Amino acid sequence: MAMMDQKLRSERLVFYEKDVQRIDEEIDGLLELSGSRCAFLIDRDGHLVTRRGDAVQSSLESIAALVAGSFAATREMARLLGEDEFSTLSHQGERESIQISLVGERALLAMVFDQRTNLGMVRYYAVESVRRLTEILTEIDGREAPTSSGLASDFSASAAEALDRLF
Amino acid sequence: MVQINFAQKQVNAKVVYYGPGMSGKTTNLEIVHQRAPTPNRGDLTSISTDGDRTLFFDFMPLDLGTVAGMRTCFQLYTVPGQVYYNSTRKLVLQGVDGVVFVADSSASMVEENLESMRNLEQNLAEYGKSLATMPLIIQFNKRDLPDALPVEELQRLLNPYNAPCFEAIANSGQGVFPTLKALAARVLESIHTGSRPAPAAGIQAGLTQTGFHQPPAIPAAGAPRTLQQTGYNPAPSIPMQQSAPQQGHPQQGHPQPALQGQGVGMQPAMAMQPGHGQPGMMSPQMHQQDALSRTTVHAPPMQGGMQPGMQSISMGGGQQQQQQQQPMHGQAPIQGGMQQPMQHPGMMHPQMQVPGPIPQQQQQQHPQMQQQQLQQTGYGYAPQGMGGLQPGMQMHPAPAATMAQQQAQAQPNLQMLRVDKGQAGPAAAQKPRAVAQAKPAPKSAAKPTSKAAAQAAPSAPAEAAPRIQPRNQPMATPGSGKKRLVYAGVFVVIALGVGAFVAKMVLSVL
Repeated sequence: MAMMDQKLRSERLVFYEKDVQRIDEEIDGLLELSGSRCAFLIDRDGHLVTRRGDAVQSSLESIAALVAGSFAATREMARLLGEDEFSTLSHQGERESIQISLVGERALLAMVFDQRTNLGMVRYYAVESVRRLTEILTEIDGREAPTSSGLASDFSASAAEALDRLF
Repeated sequence: MVQINFAQKQVNAKVVYYGPGMSGKTTNLEIVHQRAPTPNRGDLTSISTDGDRTLFFDFMPLDLGTVAGMRTCFQLYTVPGQVYYNSTRKLVLQGVDGVVFVADSSASMVEENLESMRNLEQNLAEYGKSLATMPLIIQFNKRDLPDALPVEELQRLLNPYNAPCFEAIANSGQGVFPTLKALAARVLESIHTGSRPAPAAGIQAGLTQTGFHQPPAIPAAGAPRTLQQTGYNPAPSIPMQQSAPQQGHPQQGHPQPALQGQGVGMQPAMAMQPGHGQPGMMSPQMHQQDALSRTTVHAPPMQGGMQPGMQSISMGGGQQQQQQQQPMHGQAPIQGGMQQPMQHPGMMHPQMQVPGPIPQQQQQQHPQMQQQQLQQTGYGYAPQGMGGLQPGMQMHPAPAATMAQQQAQAQPNLQMLRVDKGQAGPAAAQKPRAVAQAKPAPKSAAKPTSKAAAQAAPSAPAEAAPRIQPRNQPMATPGSGKKRLVYAGVFVVIALGVGAFVAKMVLSVL
C-alpha cells in the first residue's frame, strides 16, 4: 500500500481547492507588495497550477510550458557548473520582465512585472513568499496520497467519447 | 506527470513525440494544429533553429473539452531529434505521461530509429520510468517512401513492448490523428490506474479501421521476446554517448563498454585545453588546475604546511621543474640555466650538468639562495615534483626571461610567470641586489648545497658541488687579475709613500 501511495504521488500531482485557495492568497499578497502585474504557479512539468493578477495576452499554457522549459534548461546549466540548481531566473525586457523562482522541489513561481516596480522589489518580496509557498506545497506532498485519482469513475469512458467526438 | 487540479477543475497530461531527426515529429504536431477544431487547440510554439530544426521543443496545448466535469488538456511536445541535443531532449521528457515514437520507415534510417529508441529508454530510466509501463504508441511514418521497410520488419526491430503502432504519412496528415487518439486514450486510462493500461477493447476496435496494426502475437509457449531478439539492443552505442553532454557521468544500467568509450574520449579533450602548452600565457590558476587534473603531484607540497606564499612558490617550483626536465631529456640547455638551482636547491643536480658559462656573481649567489629556498619551499618538494610531473612538464617549455626573473627575486610571485621576454631587462637589473643579499654568508652555503643535492638527487649527490668547481675557477680569473693590478698599484703607491715618509723621518733625526 505504501508503495502504491508513493507511486501515485510520483505519477500524479493533485491540487485540491482548499490548497489552491491558500496558494492564491499568498500570491495575492505578494502581488500587492511587490507591485507585479501577475504571477503564475507552475509545476515543473509545465502545467499551470494557478494564476493571479492581470490577464496576459498570450496563451497561459504556452507561457507555462516555456517557463518550465527555460527553468529546466537553467537547471541543467547549473548542474554542469557544479551547482544543484539556480533557484531564481529573471528575464528583463523593455516593458515587461519576468522573475522565476523555484518553489520547493516541484513548482515554479513566475512573476510578470513592468515599470511600476523593479526587479529588486520583486525579488525581495518573492523570497519570503516562496518560503511560505514551499511550506504549503510540502504539506500537500506530505499528505497521505489518495487511493484513487478522485476523478469520476466514468472518467476514462467519457474521455474516450470525447476523443471520438474530437477526432 | 498528470496534474489534477480540482480548484480549476482541470486535468493536464503531457505527451511527447519522440524519434530520430527528420522523422516527422514536428510535422505531426503541425498537422494536429492545422486540423484540430479551433476551440480545442492552443498556440503552436516552436523553439527551432533558423533551418526549422527543433532546438528545444515544439509545444501545443490540446483541449479535449470537459470530461466528467473536468477540463481535460493534453500538452503536446516534440523533442529535437538530432543526437546532439540529448540534454534538451531529456529535459522535455521530464514529467511525461505518454510517448509517441515517430519512426522513419526508410531502410536507410533503421540505425537512427534504433538509436533513438535506445536513447528514449535511457532518458526515461533517468526519470525512473520505463517504456514497459509508459503509455507508448509507435508511428511508422513516411510510408510513401519507395525504400520504406515492411511494417513487419519495423515491428520486429522497434516494437519490443508490443505497443500499438500506426502507419502514417504525416505530410499529408494520414495516420496523425489515429496515433494521437490512441495515445490519448491510453494516457487517460493510465490516470486512473497510475500504470500502463491494458489495451482497451474499444480502442482496439476503433484502431482497426484507422490503420492500426496489431502487434505480432507472442508465442505462448516460447520464451518472451528479448530486446536482442527484436533488434532493440539496450546497449547504448558509442556515437550516441559521445554526443551527449553527460558523457562523464556513468548512468545506471548502461553497459560498461560504452562508459569506457566515454572515458577514452574525454581524456584527449582534457589534454587539449586551450593554452595547455603555453605556460607563459596561462594564468597560474589554470596551470595549477591543469596540473592537478592530470596528476595530484602538486597537492602534497601544498598541503605540507609551508610558509605563506606557498602557492606562488609552488607555482614557481612547478615551472622550474618543467624547465629542468629539458636537459634531462636531451633537449637544448636553457640559457641562464644555473639560475634555477638558486631557486630550488633540490633541483640543482641535473642542472649542473648543463654545459655553459656561469657568471661569477651567480656562483657567489647560489649557496645563499639555496639556503633561502630550503626554508621557503620545504626540502622534500623538488623530488616529488620531479617524479610526478615529468610527462606534463615536457609540455611547458619555460621562457628564459621567466627564469631570469625568478632568479632575480627570492620569492617568485604569480605574476612573474606571465612575464614575456621584453620584461627581462628590469628583472636583470635586480640581480645586484640579490647578490648583495647573498654575500654575507657565502662560506656557510657550501655544506648545505651538497646536502641539498644529496637529498634531492640521491643518484649522484656528492659530485654536485665538486663538479661545479672546475668550471668556476677559470671563469673567476679574468675578473680578479685587474683587481690584483689595482691592488698592487695602490700597494706600491702606499709603500712608496710610507717609504718616503720613513726616509724623511730618519733623515730628520740624523
